Amino acid sequence: MQSPVNWALLGLVIERPSYAYELAQRFDRVYEGALSLSSTSHVYTALGTLQYRDLVEEVAGTRRGRQPRPRYRATTRGVSEYRDWLVGQFRDNRRRQRLFVLQLGSLTHDPDAALEMVARFEEACLEEAAKTPIGPPGGTSAEKDTNLVGRLLAEDSRLAVGARLAWVQYARRELVALTNSRRARA
Amino acid sequence: MSLLSLENVSKRYGDGRRERVVLSDVSLQLDAGELAAVWGLRRSGRSTLLHVAAGIEAPDTGVVRFLGRDLARHRDEALGGGIGYCQQTFRAGEARTAREHVTLALLARGVVSPEARSRASAALERTGATSCASLPPAQLDGAEAVRVALARTLALRPQLLVVDEPAKGVDLLARDEILTLLRSLADDGIAVLASTGEATGLSGADRALSLGDGELHESPARHLAPVVPLRRAAG
Repeated sequence: MQSPVNWALLGLVIERPSYAYELAQRFDRVYEGALSLSSTSHVYTALGTLQYRDLVEEVAGTRRGRQPRPRYRATTRGVSEYRDWLVGQFRDNRRRQRLFVLQLGSLTHDPDAALEMVARFEEACLEEAAKTPIGPPGGTSAEKDTNLVGRLLAEDSRLAVGARLAWVQYARRELVALTNSRRARA
Repeated sequence: MSLLSLENVSKRYGDGRRERVVLSDVSLQLDAGELAAVWGLRRSGRSTLLHVAAGIEAPDTGVVRFLGRDLARHRDEALGGGIGYCQQTFRAGEARTAREHVTLALLARGVVSPEARSRASAALERTGATSCASLPPAQLDGAEAVRVALARTLALRPQLLVVDEPAKGVDLLARDEILTLLRSLADDGIAVLASTGEATGLSGADRALSLGDGELHESPARHLAPVVPLRRAAG
């Protein structure tokens, strides 16, 4: 299953079993700015896919009444596959970062251009670092739970940016050294 | 006119083969109410940059102006007056309590005793350090020491606050509260220039800068980061 929307929806079902409309609302709230549903009906299609793959199941007895609202919960297989997928995401991130460095490598014949790219990359990192929200833990336990995800997210972003800024310093030194040695040879 | 302005500032240490360029043609302007954070690796010169900005060290070349006046000529009036420098290491000296540590700084500046005590209390409350004001300095934890150090500097009512690594040695879970405090001081109209060895220290800054090989780099746009209001009760 490739769709990040489907995986994200599975995560929400694991967090708290629910019915389609509530899941769609929670999806918009949690993944605002990161992922989006094409429409509310998208959630029904995605739940169908998850159910077909035996990753979620309907809670028995919730399809009764004039307006049935079937509730969905994750299967054991769903929880297990979701965890594996999360670990896979880390590898994907590393792959994307490696790809960026390899693609930058194609500019090493022109160190000035590569230096400019490194400078722009650094600007983006600094911008992201400054935008990362700060805030202490919430007061009530419910607020603390909600804020915890935000704080984990912020810390992940800060640590990643810190590592990238350190890489920028290294890359800049290497590129300057390359420029100097080429000038000395010319 | 900017509150603080560094114009083409350079600074070197050592000579001959051991010469090290710490700041190379660095320019920076800072206005009232701005929070600027400078990130750099170890030995990148971030403390030197802060020393030069605060007038503690003079640059080899270039000019540092505070309120339009050359700091090299007006250093003594600016440092401890309009400029407050909060150092990385907490040195309590002879103070028996955190409150005394803050009060002594005011007494040393000629502030009379009753006013010094009142200003010290207000500064400790502003930085959320009232609860540890009666503790001996040696018993303060990392975050409390930073709050007391900031209170000592704030009690002198600076327009520019220069803080070297405010989050260093602070427990991970208390770190954001220190950053939020700095943000709120900037929101009160104080210009804040802070250094950091971790990208975390850039969070909430209006301007994030990096320093490496003597060069200062900045993100192109200025941002106001979303900040969750400080919930911690002062005191």
